Amino acid sequence: MTPVVTVVDLHTDIALSKGTVRPVSGVSFTVNKGESLGIVGESGCGKTMTALSIMRLLPPGGRIVGGSIALADVDLVAMDEAGMRRIRGDRVGMIFQDPMTSLNPCMTIGDQVSETVLLHREVTREHARERAAEVLDLVGLPHAKERMNSYPHLLSGGMRQRVVIAMALACDPELLIADEPTTALDATIQKQILELIDDLRTRLDMAVILVTHDLGVIAGHTDRVAVMYAGKIMETSPTPELFANPRHPYTEALFRARPENAGSDRKLYAIPGLPPDLSDPPRGCRFAARCAYATEECRAQEPELTGDNHAFACFHPLGINQQAAPNPPTPLATAQAAAPLLEVRNLVREFPVTSNGVLQRKIGAISAVADVSFTVGAEETFGLVGESGCGKSTISRLLVAADTPTSGSITFDGIEITGKSNRELRKYRGDFQLMFQDPYASLDPRMRVGSILREPLVIQHRGSAVDQENAVVRLLDEVGLPRTALRQYPHEFSGGQRQRIGLARALALRPKLIVADEPVSALDVSVQAQILNLMRDLQREHRLTYVFISHDLSVVRYVATTIGVMYLGKLVEIGPAEQVYTAPVHPYTRGLIDTIPLADPQRERRKSKAGVRGELPSAMNPPSGCRFRTRCPRASDKCAVEEPLMLPFSVQGHRAACHHPLRSPIPLSTSAHTAPPRP
Amino acid sequence: MTGFITRRLLQSLIVVLLVTVIVFILLHLLPGGPARAQLGPRATPTAIASFNHQMGYDRPVPVQYWNWLTQLATGNLGFSTQFNQSVISLIAERLPKTLVLTILSIILALAVAIPLGILQAVRRNNLADYVITFWAFVFYATPSFFLGVVLIVVFSVYLPILPAEAPQSASIQVILSQPGGLILPVATLALLTIAQFSRYMRSSVIENLAEDYVRTARAKGAGERTVLIHHVLRNSLIPIATLLGLSLPTIFSGALITEAVFNFPGMGQLFWTAAQTQDYPIMLGITVLIGVVTVIGSLLADLAYAVLDPRVRFA
Amino acid sequence: MTAIPAGDATLQHSPKTHGFTRTMSAVLTNKLAVVGLGIIVAFILFCYAGPLIYHTDQIHIELSRAALPPSAAHPLGTNEVGYDQLGRLMVGGQTSLEVGIAAALLATVFGTVWGAIAGYTGSFIDSAMMRVVDALLAVPALFLLLFLASIARPTAWLLILVIALVSWLGPARLVRGAALSLRTRDFVTSARLMGGGPWRAVFRHIAPNAIGIVVVNATFQVADAILVLAALSFLGLGIPPPAANWGDMLSSGISYTYAGYWWLIYPPGLAIVCVVIAFNFLGDALRDSFDVRLQKR
Repeated sequence: MTPVVTVVDLHTDIALSKGTVRPVSGVSFTVNKGESLGIVGESGCGKTMTALSIMRLLPPGGRIVGGSIALADVDLVAMDEAGMRRIRGDRVGMIFQDPMTSLNPCMTIGDQVSETVLLHREVTREHARERAAEVLDLVGLPHAKERMNSYPHLLSGGMRQRVVIAMALACDPELLIADEPTTALDATIQKQILELIDDLRTRLDMAVILVTHDLGVIAGHTDRVAVMYAGKIMETSPTPELFANPRHPYTEALFRARPENAGSDRKLYAIPGLPPDLSDPPRGCRFAARCAYATEECRAQEPELTGDNHAFACFHPLGINQQAAPNPPTPLATAQAAAPLLEVRNLVREFPVTSNGVLQRKIGAISAVADVSFTVGAEETFGLVGESGCGKSTISRLLVAADTPTSGSITFDGIEITGKSNRELRKYRGDFQLMFQDPYASLDPRMRVGSILREPLVIQHRGSAVDQENAVVRLLDEVGLPRTALRQYPHEFSGGQRQRIGLARALALRPKLIVADEPVSALDVSVQAQILNLMRDLQREHRLTYVFISHDLSVVRYVATTIGVMYLGKLVEIGPAEQVYTAPVHPYTRGLIDTIPLADPQRERRKSKAGVRGELPSAMNPPSGCRFRTRCPRASDKCAVEEPLMLPFSVQGHRAACHHPLRSPIPLSTSAHTAPPRP
Repeated sequence: MTGFITRRLLQSLIVVLLVTVIVFILLHLLPGGPARAQLGPRATPTAIASFNHQMGYDRPVPVQYWNWLTQLATGNLGFSTQFNQSVISLIAERLPKTLVLTILSIILALAVAIPLGILQAVRRNNLADYVITFWAFVFYATPSFFLGVVLIVVFSVYLPILPAEAPQSASIQVILSQPGGLILPVATLALLTIAQFSRYMRSSVIENLAEDYVRTARAKGAGERTVLIHHVLRNSLIPIATLLGLSLPTIFSGALITEAVFNFPGMGQLFWTAAQTQDYPIMLGITVLIGVVTVIGSLLADLAYAVLDPRVRFA
Repeated sequence: MTAIPAGDATLQHSPKTHGFTRTMSAVLTNKLAVVGLGIIVAFILFCYAGPLIYHTDQIHIELSRAALPPSAAHPLGTNEVGYDQLGRLMVGGQTSLEVGIAAALLATVFGTVWGAIAGYTGSFIDSAMMRVVDALLAVPALFLLLFLASIARPTAWLLILVIALVSWLGPARLVRGAALSLRTRDFVTSARLMGGGPWRAVFRHIAPNAIGIVVVNATFQVADAILVLAALSFLGLGIPPPAANWGDMLSSGISYTYAGYWWLIYPPGLAIVCVVIAFNFLGDALRDSFDVRLQKR
């Protein structure tokens, strides 16, 4: 084992106008040749700053104030800037989070990749371009040679990330640092990129540091893990060991907050509170304030990171194989036989594509939603899942009448809402509300929280001014915010708190239905658990019906009673949540489940080759027949010609549209006799 | 990209038509209307009436507009009684000189402002940045005629090294052969633009330096110079093309003042003379022409933008 | 309730540090803004309170006192027709400031309304309204102003009107852009989904969020209007005497450049430069303070 990089007691400061933040305080680790280290933690824990410290690419004001970083035999902390430039891109390569912004929009990808070579090797332009084509081919960019002169905006996100990887690898680095390399990508693409990094690591015998917030990503793709919290490593060990036997309460809490590990009848474990302010970290253990096991000792004194192979910094570690107390149960909404509240029939939404010319002729249409039908029972949670661009957000807008369908009907509580004017809709609007994805954009930055929550009541003329004031206070209590919030502005709150405000606003009119469009995807896993628990509690209290839209199948499985899976505008599978998740029949659903990174190294490695391959086709010219056929392992000629019909697969309403399902449908006659009137 | 060009062309055409409408309205705003404009302030009411009949100004307004527009299209911008010359030939004589003045000053402005802006961005919040910013504010806040006079006082009165007047010649060759006389007018006009462009360039470079792709370039091992020249410069220059298009009207306004200060025989000075003597055919003609030149200029700037930015070029 | 009232630390702020107070405190911490505001206040005092202390005759021409250099009796000398230059600087400043501020306000209000309507309605009406703006922008302002000023004999009111006529285009474009992007924002959609109408969207959500750029722009507009007024005066189309403004004073002083009457040139010139810079400083500082608020969003 030859160590490639050894970090010892690293301290990094960032000087801001209002004080100095210490995002990295005393981090140590080693990564060997051919080994992969995962650094995991929630936002603001210092994992990215650790990575940037190794590259010495800290943001303005950032400075390494202590410790050493040894790359083989050289100390990177003591290195001068010219020396660092020779190392960056040559001996250490780095991949960044957002492939949409990390490429220069005005340079061809060939030039951008060959730039790395030209900066570090005495070669001609032609040689550099040859090498660039070679690396682009290596990272799996189709037709690499022909694409050398393409500009980044012509490539999809996944392809751009491959180009960024090619740039990082062009000079055969000893160490590759990947900072959240797949966070901005869809699950199916994420899997492909992670496998690519794995594959390249073995082939090129590199050391890899994989920085991520997702324990699932760590499980399948790293040899060792370091869990970071508030600028420190809390626990580090070989990957299987950590997952089998977490010792630090924070690591354990991270696991328990993941919805994939929770039975859908259990509450998620939510870590209370927020991480400490890193410009003034607390004395003692930094996790103490949020830790269920903390004692006086923890608050007074800081525990050291101790242990050889499996090290952790805790005075009260969890015992080996000690089972954590199960999460408290949450009564399930009893909705199974309820009457339908929402009926969607043959919903179609097309966005016209006009020519850029003078007359703006219509030259085509993006088929965002194509003939989708489903029913949602009262007090049920209907989960809608799919990759970005599958049409799920369009449906959310249609359901709350923020947009008008091209054709089809939406019936809410027996009332047809399509084709109604805004004026007519006004009196129904209080019954169905939308909860937005982005907690930053959905609250008016110039209104106090009190006014934001009162606005729906004012618009709908509910009660007197005093009634409204009281209602607002009640709402704050319900979503667990202090009353002082009334006089504050949205920017004074964290993302999770803002999402609480958004939920309170959606609740203000006491709606029957809340359509939640990716309500937790902008949040850290522990905060996500808080919001999901809250949504469930409120559902029970107010007999709410949810349509819960997400790209994350494990979240949807946890919250939903029924799941619908969408692909490129089509509903391909629908049914009771457990059936769809454990026994999917559509190859796409199967593939989507296989792409979810699980926080379990054994299961992760077992399923390694499964998953959906390739990229999403254009919705402007969707494939004929079955839209999934271009990426489907089971596709036949029939799939290209004939569009599959929805067939029943269980008497509980599990249905899918596939010519080659993973098991046979039940005979139509049986289902006709015994299936309930719902899907 | 062809879609972008056709759309922009069509927009420009509409804007040109609207410019003619504006000028047509101005024509009718004149006390006594177009007849007074053509015949001058001393014309008798009878003369006006007969002129109106003869020229069709007693017909419905849309017909008048159409006739006037067709006249414009054939290059008939009217006749100046004071100069006893057709407006088009007067403009033809003066326009090239104004173009020489404005184009030289734009080139000078860009040549100075771009490096200055980059310098300020790289050394931001340093002494150099503050000094340049301060002078940019001062030049921006100085009325251009005042600036011109200060330059004259310094360079022609105290250190008499440059002439206070621009070369008075009908031919461009002669003007260009006496570059000394051009220095002060071009500098006056350029200083204002420099003040504006350098501040814009500064913020554009600062913005681009904070972009993710710059961090990627640094992660490749690129040094400051490579980052600036290969990555940031091009991306920062693209918006300058648009700014240039938007600044054309300001630059033409500046040229009007500069020509008046330095007695430079260009179109601005002609316009000013015409305004003092209420020679409306000249004023209207120049207004239409400058409007058209501005529209064409912004169109070219937008096309340059499209060529420079691959996201538009290959859209 | 099991939900955790998370992050109480962030909720302890004093509720007083909001809105206007906050903007003002942000402005006051910016040194440039303090300098700018200070200069503006000083000039307002000078122009309006000054004549109460320092009495001069700015009506009657007194050629016997023409073009006297600065002295004890006339700290800034007298001009070519015998007006006391210091007193005239005060009176002239009133006109310059009044015309500048009034024209900027008028242009801002009209431009904002125009831009808001175009941006909020979108589609065909938007294109039509914006082409009008483009066309007016294509005719350089000074040409248009000179033309208009040559038709009628200028008065202060007419000048305010014509300067506003060429200045409303900037705010119109700015506000339209802001409205276009704001109307698709989630919080505007949200108001619609509660049943709120377009008026609420515009007045409760779009306008308060666009007000920042409007205020910043208005500050720059004042500076520009003072410069335009000066340029018009130089071209001989300012307000006729005995009324005065800095531009008139400067341009008539300039005709005596070669006579060496420096006191006729530099005081009004510097006054214009200082006030214009001051408004620009203030505008920049306001923009920064609004930006900070948006970043913290």
